[in-house]
Amino acid sequence: MHSLGWSSKLISRALRSGFSALLETATNVTSNSGGSKSRPHFISVVCGFPKDFLTSKYKPGKYGEDSWFKTSTSNADVLGVADGVGGWRSYGIDPGEFSSFLMKTCERLVHCVNFNPQRPVNLLAYSYCELLEQKKPILGSSTACVLVLNRENSTVYTANIGDSGFMVVRRGEIVHKSEEQQHYFNTPFQLSLPPPGHDHNVLSDSPDSADTLSFPVKDGDVILVATDGVFDNVPEKLLLDMLKEVEGVTDPVKLQMTANSLALMARSLSFDSEFMSPFAINARRNNINATGGKPDDITVVLATVAI
Amino acid sequence: MSQSPGTNSEDGSKTTENESVAVDSVIDFKGKHFGLETTSEDSDDHLVSGSEGTMIDVERFCHADYRIEQYAHSVLDFSSQYGINLSISYTAPNITGRPSKYPEYGDFPQTFAMRTYGDWWDRAPSRIKEMQPQNVAEIPAEDFIDKEFYTKPLHNLSRARRFTPPLKRIQLPTKTIRLEFNHQRLHYYTEIDAVLLSGKKFNTRNMQHLLDYYERQRKGPILCKLQNMKFRPICRDNYQNRLQHFLMHDLGKFISVLSDVQVQTIQQHQQQQQSLSTDEIKTSEIGLKDMPFEIMLKIFSYLDLKSLFRVGAVSRFLYDVSTHPLLYSELNLKPYWHLVSTELLSTLAKRATILKKLDMSWCGCTVQTISPTEFKKFIQQRGDSLTHLRLNSAKFLNASCIDTLGIVCDNLKELSLRNCSPSPPLLNFSCLANLKNLERLDLFQTVIESDLLLTMLENNPKLKHLNLAFCNVAVNMDDVAQQISKYNKQLISLDMWKAHFLSAQGLLILSNCRNLEEIDFGWCLREASLGDSLKEFLTQCTKLKKLFLAAVRGLTDRDLEFIANLCPNLEQLDLMGVLGLSKERYIDILQKCTKLQLLDLCFCDNIMDYDVALWSRTFKVDIKSCQVPNDFR
Repeated sequence: MHSLGWSSKLISRALRSGFSALLETATNVTSNSGGSKSRPHFISVVCGFPKDFLTSKYKPGKYGEDSWFKTSTSNADVLGVADGVGGWRSYGIDPGEFSSFLMKTCERLVHCVNFNPQRPVNLLAYSYCELLEQKKPILGSSTACVLVLNRENSTVYTANIGDSGFMVVRRGEIVHKSEEQQHYFNTPFQLSLPPPGHDHNVLSDSPDSADTLSFPVKDGDVILVATDGVFDNVPEKLLLDMLKEVEGVTDPVKLQMTANSLALMARSLSFDSEFMSPFAINARRNNINATGGKPDDITVVLATVAI
Repeated sequence: MSQSPGTNSEDGSKTTENESVAVDSVIDFKGKHFGLETTSEDSDDHLVSGSEGTMIDVERFCHADYRIEQYAHSVLDFSSQYGINLSISYTAPNITGRPSKYPEYGDFPQTFAMRTYGDWWDRAPSRIKEMQPQNVAEIPAEDFIDKEFYTKPLHNLSRARRFTPPLKRIQLPTKTIRLEFNHQRLHYYTEIDAVLLSGKKFNTRNMQHLLDYYERQRKGPILCKLQNMKFRPICRDNYQNRLQHFLMHDLGKFISVLSDVQVQTIQQHQQQQQSLSTDEIKTSEIGLKDMPFEIMLKIFSYLDLKSLFRVGAVSRFLYDVSTHPLLYSELNLKPYWHLVSTELLSTLAKRATILKKLDMSWCGCTVQTISPTEFKKFIQQRGDSLTHLRLNSAKFLNASCIDTLGIVCDNLKELSLRNCSPSPPLLNFSCLANLKNLERLDLFQTVIESDLLLTMLENNPKLKHLNLAFCNVAVNMDDVAQQISKYNKQLISLDMWKAHFLSAQGLLILSNCRNLEEIDFGWCLREASLGDSLKEFLTQCTKLKKLFLAAVRGLTDRDLEFIANLCPNLEQLDLMGVLGLSKERYIDILQKCTKLQLLDLCFCDNIMDYDVALWSRTFKVDIKSCQVPNDFR
């Protein structure tokens, strides 16, 4: 029920500020061709593996229960990932539906006339509200991480709920990183829409509880947005080493190769039962005796900034 | 387009056969000025231009005609949509740009869907009667059926289609297109993905002709007539003296030239007549002009407005008949929305001295503007006997118009202000609280202040039909329910579609309105569990014929049991989007509600297609069921 409360507050706030959702026509320009002014843009690639890679069919925009999107408008580049919470399978709900819908709606909202590149939290919030307007009931929950590059001021604005996240590498160092948000171990913050009647025993965080961060970016910065399948299995140092390599790289093929190897690495480490993954280390900190990686869906969205 | 458009004697507003019956939704398009973009050749252009006249940047243009295609740029207005204003699901803005889902077939939120379909709303207790039905295009033009959009038989409808409605030709350059829809034949909500306009570019020479013609159009009717007759006075320097000279000396000659022509035709006619026998001459002398006045009035009462005006131009007698106030006690200007202007309004004001019903829906858009002051004058002169007033999507209304309505029209029984949210937004229609005799109040998609609504409910105990669909967030439906159960016990139909949230408590309170026959709680009852409130409600409101519970996700099998047992008169039931209901309950309802005609089970689970077909045949009920394919795209 709290989801109803703040969603109607959101709607009334929007009404008062004269919000009107008019969709601009889609202009899917991925890179800035006419570059006469020095407007920054992303060169971005995606790679990933669903947990059941060997048995599942490929679906665009999803890796198992994870989902992602990337899109551009004339004044912003946007990347996003979402990780569906698997526990819903036991209720007969497909966990990937929620995250997939969230990401697809975020993408459509980016192209709306009133998209504000400085508030990616709004994307998540309105996307969530759209859920309530679907004829087909979409249930489940998911984490989400959205990252927006505002071309006007070369600044990146982010919003993160849960344990997906991003990392920014510049000159061989991690300059920005998202914080994992968890209620308790293995229970991240999540946007959720439970089936009616289960409201009280389901964790549902509002988009207001998202961590927001904004920082300027420079030419050559490397940005990685990924779900916890990556951060839980690949140690930070290893990530850094791989991301250092592609600093300043503008060739999408080389970027794609790095993204692919990152994803592959995460996958092989996740199935390694002896490796002390970040997940295992964290588990031990919480008094759980675990070793090895955590098999999970892996989504890697890798981008470099070019100005 | 090699001939000059000036030879067209009539303007674009010609025959009715090009108009489809506009029952409901209308969208206005507005396009950017095209020709400024570099990619005007590709179909990547997203602009819309008008039908024949195209606004082009003349300098850019160089060759002869070639085809271009454009998608809509933005939506100016619409009369109804399925989703709420802020949403991007099933709403009007989805029609802009390229198609997102076509040629896939299914129920997708990325499209534009209108609020109603088929004739189910006409069968409901809240149906409205058209005023002056002879004005609606249905009756004069027999071929409207071919021009209508949904003419194909049902078996053709279950796949994605491209179709082309006829475009009405106008002579002005324009950037806006209005699409009119008629839903009568629709099987279910039909969703539109995109609108593509294709045509040819003009070349410069024709553009000049067009602009000349446009200039000439803006001159008065006398000059136009003179031009048509090819009578051109030779105007030199001091033309004012010339005009005086003409009036004094040449006018006589001018008239005699005209009457010569007339005399010739009369002579020819008389020669023809002399060849007839004397009997026939006698009978041909008794005509319409000899009929008694009352018979003439009765005959003219079947005429539509355009014909009425035309027939008044024939003779003095016919003019007197056609301007009699009895013919103007009901005025339906909605089919003429593109022709209604301030001048027409003042002409009608003179004739309609006993005006009872007025429908000015859809008037006052970009094609013809109506001045709010004129409308106010009209209401002040003629509004006090008005009993039915419909101003749906009327864009010319402003705050003082509404105020005048409230003050003057206190005999109003029906007030329909659908889609009345002009900019700047009018949140406060406070004078409307003066109306005390309302039986029907329609505020579909209109922003109204909560206090005012509650006051109006209190002041109108005879209220029978209330539509608060898409009511804004500020209005709490529980408060409204409270008010209704106290003051409006005679309520027959209530529509709360997508209004902001009725709780189970509110539902319980509404059970005081025992006369309810139609109720629409779609998307409005968001509570997780309804408890016993639905049971209480259904126990009290036994006359219920139409019950819409779309997306009331908290419905359970128990509630369906109540519906089956407590609603013997149920004719239309909507359970769209409710999960977790079992097949047995559906069958139970189908068996016990013997008068059921429509059952909407879209997006419900536990049903198979063959079940639906079987039930539909066995129980003779129209059952809707459709799903989006499982891999959600």
